[in-house]
Amino acid sequence: MKTRIDSVEDIIRSFSEQGYICSERIALAVYLAAQLHKPVLVEGPPGVGKTELAKAAAAFLEAPLIRLQCYEGLDESRALYEWKYGKQLLYTQLLRDKLGGMLADTDSLEASMDRLGDLGEAFYSETFLEPRPLLHALRSEEPAVLLIDEIDKADQEFEAFLLELLSDFQISIPELGTVKARHQPLVLLTSNDQRELSDALKRRCLHLYIPYPEAELEANIVAARVPDLDARLRDQLVAFIQYLREQDMKKLPAISETLDWARALVLLHADSLEQELVADTLNLVLKTEQDVTLARELLPAWLRKLGKR
Amino acid sequence: MPVRRLSEFVQALRGAGLRISPDEATQGMDAAALVGYQGRQRFHDALAMTLVKREEDRPAFEETFARFFAVTSGVASAGPQDSAMPAPVEGAGDPAAQVDDGQAGDGAESDTPDLTTQTPAELDQRLAEAAAQMDFTQMEVITQQGLYTRRLLMNMGMGAVDDRILQLDQGDATRQVRAETLRQWRREVREQAADHVRRQFLLHGAGKGRALREQTMRAVPFRHLREFQEVKTLVRRMARRLASLHQRRMKRSRRGMLDARRTLVAGIRHDGVPARLHWRQRPVQKSRVMVICDVSSSVSDAARFLLQFLYAMNDVLPRVRSFAFASRFDEISEDFQRYSPDVAVGRVLDRLSGSGTDYGEMFADFWRRCERELDSHTTVIILGDARNNYLPEGAEVLQQIRRRVKQVWWLNPEARSRWNSGDAVMDRYLPHCRLARQCASLDDLERIVDSLLKGLN
Repeated sequence: MKTRIDSVEDIIRSFSEQGYICSERIALAVYLAAQLHKPVLVEGPPGVGKTELAKAAAAFLEAPLIRLQCYEGLDESRALYEWKYGKQLLYTQLLRDKLGGMLADTDSLEASMDRLGDLGEAFYSETFLEPRPLLHALRSEEPAVLLIDEIDKADQEFEAFLLELLSDFQISIPELGTVKARHQPLVLLTSNDQRELSDALKRRCLHLYIPYPEAELEANIVAARVPDLDARLRDQLVAFIQYLREQDMKKLPAISETLDWARALVLLHADSLEQELVADTLNLVLKTEQDVTLARELLPAWLRKLGKR
Repeated sequence: MPVRRLSEFVQALRGAGLRISPDEATQGMDAAALVGYQGRQRFHDALAMTLVKREEDRPAFEETFARFFAVTSGVASAGPQDSAMPAPVEGAGDPAAQVDDGQAGDGAESDTPDLTTQTPAELDQRLAEAAAQMDFTQMEVITQQGLYTRRLLMNMGMGAVDDRILQLDQGDATRQVRAETLRQWRREVREQAADHVRRQFLLHGAGKGRALREQTMRAVPFRHLREFQEVKTLVRRMARRLASLHQRRMKRSRRGMLDARRTLVAGIRHDGVPARLHWRQRPVQKSRVMVICDVSSSVSDAARFLLQFLYAMNDVLPRVRSFAFASRFDEISEDFQRYSPDVAVGRVLDRLSGSGTDYGEMFADFWRRCERELDSHTTVIILGDARNNYLPEGAEVLQQIRRRVKQVWWLNPEARSRWNSGDAVMDRYLPHCRLARQCASLDDLERIVDSLLKGLN
């Protein structure tokens, strides 16, 4: 991992080389997170590039990206570590005779228990430990970027469990003791605001809100990602998307949808937004029937306005 | 400036309603130190990232930031043209005038330069210096502003000017004219000082005042609550706090234990090896709450808040059905599903309010409508004053209801001593209620909903 980050501009440059065009605020968040060793909580509507940010940050820092996808019911055994129960069981079965032999020369129950007690440690050792993403991140040989994706989907108790990791970069495992991070990872948490996260969690993180991009930024993003698209068409497309976001849609189009649409237009060799073309490809941008219908109704008026300009 | 100014800024943010922990404040300072103070936008972003953790706090942050850092930059860059301070008093500084009012001028000028001769920019500077020596963070109520303004003016050296005016007043006509000019000048400076204090109050004092008001709002009877503007926010916040508290509790009680019996039984087919572990899981209780609110004029305030509260807790209380009655009885759940609680309450009151409550009739109506849905997971909450206008009470129907459901609660907005006064007949209903409480303020309400949730999970 890169240990020195010279400036915020450095980050912006590297990100844009990777095709991740971002506002200064986003780069500043990565800069502060790396310098202050604080996790970043990234919030914002779906599809604005929260997960992409983690990938870009990992590439910039030349660090491996470890990803933990959250979902309801996610618990420690899936996130941190698990004992390989099956393997433990198999070993005890295979070693049954051996164990019997070992215990044969003991004469009292207490003595056998003692001997077993010494042995018990063996069954809760590294051999039987199945590390999951969080433990991977802590024990990683080189500093990593840890992405905890959609934390709002996990249960509240999982959130509480994360607190120790986020503030001290360590985690307690009853059988092994406290595992401290070899190298502090850069932690990014993302949330779609499905539920309110606890204050304790928010307190430990820097907070970054990524809104839908402004027209200029969005045009830059499209230019970087879909370079084949004609510049004039690109501006039209971005203007139309921006216009759609102001409407009362059920699901607003995000950047990823803008890009999909842009790619489709390149494939169709379109050179300007026309009524028929837009009407046919609208479902790349809008994902519910109601929205598509609404957009179709709005379209002629908008195109007329565009023509006048 | 940095550390002290920044910690004042954090104080101001707290005043504006943000919750910032000491740790976050330190983070903010570290971040600010890291990005430097040159680029305003970047400085702003760094602070926002470390100090603002909820999007709903952002407007307050932006406002406080603009106000707080505008004050500083204003002082630093104020030229004579953009300062609101008055120009130097004509003739106050020239030698003739000094001779004219001899001793007074000398006395004042010996320690500090004469205020009246200073340019607006210099005055601004003086004001800022004087203000820097004062601690505005202790201001709590709006009426303290006068006191702070006076202190600020004294620190600027206005005392000497006051003395001069007094002396001039006792002189002849020309001197009195001069006194009047000075007085005018003083008024203008005082306005500026008062303005400064007001800004400081908005930054620091308003928050403390709000905490005080919040305490009052919680304790005051419902009918007076409408006089407060922030009541809605408070209700929402209380509900959210309570909801998150109980959400956690709900999840915890749902966690399983090892089910030894099932594990062993399942292991039989593997020769007694417990290859698969089974966990005991508590079945999730499907509790249902039915609320019946009296919305006649005497109780409607309490009903408004009870309903707002219950529906704000949708996360933890998903199955609430609500009914309202005054002269008529009707289900109002749909209003709450379709509109936000504030709007819904208004609509319900418009539709059903009136006077002449008949509890007996209401119970019979409720029984007819919901008999088949009443089961042992249902809690029925009745909010009303039990003032029955001397009509038949219908207590036997309530008894019937009680037998079918888990529990009946009665919330009465009146004090316990008045529960049976006049046409109120609480004693007839009490035997059928598992719990009866007074519910007259937000504090009461919070306690009641809290114990309701404890009982449900």
